[in-house]
Amino acid sequence: MWKEIGDRQSGKLRPNSFISRIRSNRASSLQLSNHKEIVSPHRGAINSLQVDLTEGRYLLSGASDASLSVYDIQHTTDYEGGGLIAKHKPILHVDKQHQNGHKYAISTAIWYPIDTGLFVTGSFDHHINVWDTNTSQVVMDFKMPGKVYRTAMSSLATSHMLIAAATEDVQVRLCDMASGAFSHTLSGHRDGVMAVEWSACSEWVLMTGGCDGAIRFWDIRRAGCFSVLDQSHSQLGRRPPLLERSTTKVTTSRSFSPGQTSSSKTRPPQKKATSKHSGGSRILRQGKQKQRLHPGLLSSQDRATAHYGAVMGLKATEDGMYLLSAGSDSRLRLWDIESGCNTLVHFEITRLQTTKPIQLAVTQDSALVFVPCMTSLKAFDLWSGKTSMTLQGHYEHVNCCCYNAYDQELFTGGNDRHILIWSPPKLISQDVDEWDGRTGKPPALDEDNWSD
Amino acid sequence: MEWEVDEGKVAAAVVVGLIEKATNSTEPDLDPRILKSIKSVVRHSDLELRLAVENLMSLMKRDHSQVRYLALAIIHELFMRSKLFRRLIVENLEQLLSLSVGFRRNQPLPAPPAIASKLRLKAIEFLERWNTTFGIHYRQLRLGYDYLKNTLRFQFPNLQANAARAQQERRERELRTKEILLKKYELLKSNLPSIKEEVKSMVDEINECLDILQSCKEPNLPLSPIDEEEEEYFEEFRNLELRQIRDNSLKEADKVQENSENKVVFDALRELYKLLVTKHIVAVQESISVLIRVELSDNRVRDSMLKEFIDTRNHLKTIKKKCEEAGCGLSVTTDEGGGGGEEDIWEEGTSERFDIPKPNKQSEEDHDANKSKDDAIKIINSKVVCDADLDPLKSKLMGEAPVMKWGSFLDNWGSVMANQRGLEVEGHWGRVDYDAVIPANKVAELNMQATVYEEDDKEIQQCGAPLKKEKGGLCTRRDLKICPFHGRIVPRDNQGKPLINDNYLSETEPKENLLSVSTEELAKQAVIIKKREFYDNKKEMKRAKLAKVRGHNDAVLRDAALASTSATCSIGEDVKTREKNNSLAKMLKKKVSVKDRLGTRLLNRKATARATQMMMMNLGDDRHSKYREAFPNQW
Repeated sequence: MWKEIGDRQSGKLRPNSFISRIRSNRASSLQLSNHKEIVSPHRGAINSLQVDLTEGRYLLSGASDASLSVYDIQHTTDYEGGGLIAKHKPILHVDKQHQNGHKYAISTAIWYPIDTGLFVTGSFDHHINVWDTNTSQVVMDFKMPGKVYRTAMSSLATSHMLIAAATEDVQVRLCDMASGAFSHTLSGHRDGVMAVEWSACSEWVLMTGGCDGAIRFWDIRRAGCFSVLDQSHSQLGRRPPLLERSTTKVTTSRSFSPGQTSSSKTRPPQKKATSKHSGGSRILRQGKQKQRLHPGLLSSQDRATAHYGAVMGLKATEDGMYLLSAGSDSRLRLWDIESGCNTLVHFEITRLQTTKPIQLAVTQDSALVFVPCMTSLKAFDLWSGKTSMTLQGHYEHVNCCCYNAYDQELFTGGNDRHILIWSPPKLISQDVDEWDGRTGKPPALDEDNWSD
Repeated sequence: MEWEVDEGKVAAAVVVGLIEKATNSTEPDLDPRILKSIKSVVRHSDLELRLAVENLMSLMKRDHSQVRYLALAIIHELFMRSKLFRRLIVENLEQLLSLSVGFRRNQPLPAPPAIASKLRLKAIEFLERWNTTFGIHYRQLRLGYDYLKNTLRFQFPNLQANAARAQQERRERELRTKEILLKKYELLKSNLPSIKEEVKSMVDEINECLDILQSCKEPNLPLSPIDEEEEEYFEEFRNLELRQIRDNSLKEADKVQENSENKVVFDALRELYKLLVTKHIVAVQESISVLIRVELSDNRVRDSMLKEFIDTRNHLKTIKKKCEEAGCGLSVTTDEGGGGGEEDIWEEGTSERFDIPKPNKQSEEDHDANKSKDDAIKIINSKVVCDADLDPLKSKLMGEAPVMKWGSFLDNWGSVMANQRGLEVEGHWGRVDYDAVIPANKVAELNMQATVYEEDDKEIQQCGAPLKKEKGGLCTRRDLKICPFHGRIVPRDNQGKPLINDNYLSETEPKENLLSVSTEELAKQAVIIKKREFYDNKKEMKRAKLAKVRGHNDAVLRDAALASTSATCSIGEDVKTREKNNSLAKMLKKKVSVKDRLGTRLLNRKATARATQMMMMNLGDDRHSKYREAFPNQW
């Protein structure tokens, strides 16, 4: 750490790399925070956590007792133990008693990506509510055909305000906040949809994972899905170096031709690093062949699966190039979005919980992925799949986690009703000063105490 | 470098060995010495501490509650002491809790259920203590505590809260008493003049009464000189003791006797005396104690009041004494002359116990042939410790008097007035006949002495057989006839060898003894056995043979041990540890209780079959009865 600062001072290290180094150092040394804790008012399992995208300051949590809370994670509301423990109480709490509160468990709660004035919750009572944060009132209400599992809003979107809703129903609906109606109904999945995620590089691309084990990519400007991920269609390792020719294709994901998906049945998994090149040419060729078929219809007949079992969670990396999917087959898969290939990274997961959708988190530099594995939370190296940390703190199953890139803190929520904060260790312990300042009687010192 | 590594290895072995040894026991508690050595070893370096943590966690995973229990005790000891240990344990707290509390349904606590429940209680208690002492430094502790308490609703002993509550209660009580005292003090301050007045008036009255009596007494005086003359006369040929008695009686005579003339005065005096004793002295005493205990900012007033009260008390006491001298103690229990200076009424009761046999004794000595009572009374031949201040005659008599166990039969001597026994019942039960007498036969019945059977304690001999261990020592069991380990109890010498011929022993308990006897003795025994073969029955023969074989085996083993190297020594140790393991394993085995036995008998297939058959028959009966009810006329 001091060496890096020294390097930065002497100019050996560029500001960006200095920042990223410090960040990754901190991210890889997470531990259960003793000095900061969240007082959870929830009386049920916590299903969803999200820190707002604009300030990185407000944490939104939704729990299965139909309550939701907002916490300020920067400013402490309360101190305990002579200033040693900072407590964060909810600054907003809505439960069943609220006049337009949800009736059943809240499965998802997300911030409006543009500011913190709105947030969206989805619940098992078939409703998606849009809330005004300041008045804590529901400003819009969408009635869905079944239980809502996940909702997502695109953080890139400038031209639309769509909430993508994954529900029990086979169709994925897009709720338009501007009009208060469903703007799209995307059909293709054969079972309920548990996971939904917007692409991080294109505002029109939506990725959904269903209970039928399929992960489908949709371009909302066109009919039907344009890609179905196939676990047997794989490439080894990271994406091959970019060629001059392919750079043009990377710009938008529209460049995928719909026919690309059908290649899975004909080709064995491509293992060569150069497969990208041949794949590209293949796409072009096949595009010509199948041009007569309606693209939406075609993909709906594709039965390729990404997991054996349901897809429980999806998470795109920050740069939008890779997608992580967790399945009820206790596998975590890393997909190259551009090629649609399984990268065959083996993540050392023993077991995942299979009853609820889970929420994954990825660090900003896409080095670590945090996955709730039963009662613990594991951090895997994204590229090798090796376990780098096992965070043990919850006493029951962990449902969700949320990484705050600003402070390199991780929040986890589980069935034991707690929201735990995992943070890098403090560089300087402030314990001693704070006791002296408050002149209360100091708590028992944490020191060796050998009597003999 | 290598040397260091070696040392580390040795230390590790020591730690592991010690912990293994500490947990491998069936005792309910840790051996404090082993614990101490574990602590001192672990304290030595971090490496050893880490090893200890690892080892303890692996022990916690053992499938035996006793092992887990002892391991948990060690963990607690180290947890309270070492910071590093805390850090390491806390990292895996969830696992530790699930292994010690057993809150996961798929991982219940292992076998001996009694110890498992003990383990759970202990674990919960420890967790609470850890949480109260170190919870602030370890979020994991707080989480675990919170989870067990608020989610799983485990009952915590709540030690700290209880202690705090007790403290609070005590403080409140103290505060309240202080308040009450203060109130009393205020009251006293305001009442002081009236109290004084009251006391003064009463004292005056008593004095007046005494004066009246004194004036009545005058005519008696002339008699005394005559008495004195007599005394001189008698003194020449009577001994000292009798003179003492005479003195006492003279003094008694000095007192004004109650008669019809001064009865009124006496009554008044008695009344006043009673009032004095029961009310005023007590009140004054109480107010003194209040004054002593009360806490005030200004002590001057209090001190002066205290002084006054003490003076009043002393004054009252002198007056009381005067009254007593004048011959009016409390109406019934007049002073018997034994303890003259006694003020307290209740102490007289105790002195009575000593005095009671006295008249009895006198009468016995006089009549000499009072057998009937003697038969009933059991005389215990222990001397009564006589008070030095008793007169010699009395002490002599006391020395001779039989000491009896106290009983209600000693309450009455002679005829008994039913309604004059010091218990005032007149107000409660209507008219009372004061002259009622308990009939003689009833009295006799009441005076029957009840005796309780007492076992005369006989010394039970120790078994005294030499013990197997190298340290030796003798068996200290006390059994009446047969020691369960060493057979019949016979007189033995200091070494534990029987004094009588060991024919008996060779039959009854060859096992243990053969270990310690020499080969010569073995041979001798063999000879004896051979002799006996001829006329003993077969069974005994067999037993003796078995014993011989066993003895031989032992001897061979011992020889081997003596002649062997360290390797075989360790084999011996192995045997020992296996024995221990056996005992641990034994704990796992379910003891067959009466219920189980009944259960197996009742629940086996035959029984159930029979039961179902019976049921069927009953059902059949039912149908039958229904049929009967339906068609009563066909029956």
